[in-house]
Amino acid sequence: MVHALEEIHRLLKPTGTLIDIHPVAESSPIELHQGEKIDLVGSLSVRQWCIDYQQADSALAKIARRGLFAVEREDLFDSLTHYTSVEEMRTEQINAIDKFARDAQSAGEGVPDVEALAMRAEELMRTATSGAELIIRERVHISRLKPT
Amino acid sequence: MTIRTDPENNETHALLGMVNFSGQHVLEIGCGDGRVTWRYADKASRVTAIDPSSKQIAQAKEDLPSQLQDHVEFQDIAFEDFTAASAPSAFDIVILSWSLC
Repeated sequence: MVHALEEIHRLLKPTGTLIDIHPVAESSPIELHQGEKIDLVGSLSVRQWCIDYQQADSALAKIARRGLFAVEREDLFDSLTHYTSVEEMRTEQINAIDKFARDAQSAGEGVPDVEALAMRAEELMRTATSGAELIIRERVHISRLKPT
Repeated sequence: MTIRTDPENNETHALLGMVNFSGQHVLEIGCGDGRVTWRYADKASRVTAIDPSSKQIAQAKEDLPSQLQDHVEFQDIAFEDFTAASAPSAFDIVILSWSLC
């Protein structure tokens, strides 16, 4: 990651700007929204993803310490993914976790039980009003850095 | 299937609040299917968006609006290969689009 940031420094004009966007290393709540009513279905947390996000934070801190970039501004926002059915959420999350498992060659390690979350969501959706949505809320960090 | 990511435009507001894209040449690393690209591309003068997934880039190219075709270029290429072939000081803005991790 540090090498990638060194390369970015080379590609940027001296007056340029680096914007980094990545999720915060914490679990993401899954919510059932029915109008104004919000029920918590559960929480999605993949240990390897959290490790990756922490490593990204460390790499940014390291290049700032080395004087390659200076952090000018940071902010947080929530990125919400909306699903109209449990099946949509189940399929997408299983695919995402499978991809991680293949990439990391560590299937079964730190992988959340999507089926258990989906079953809980199904239970709540059964009695939900029409137009109900499942929402996964991810906290995201955005920062602006300047080459120094 | 209707999966909507950030219809609230929280990411757009955060991004546009961070930097002025007007007249800028942007490199976006890890653009995927262009989900983030569409949020700022109309404001930049030129966008080069890269991702190692040919499937994702094909989707991005398919979704590329005609009014952006003259100044947005998608490339399915690994970052290492892209930098090896790139001149220094070529970009005004680089965006790491959920890709540093």
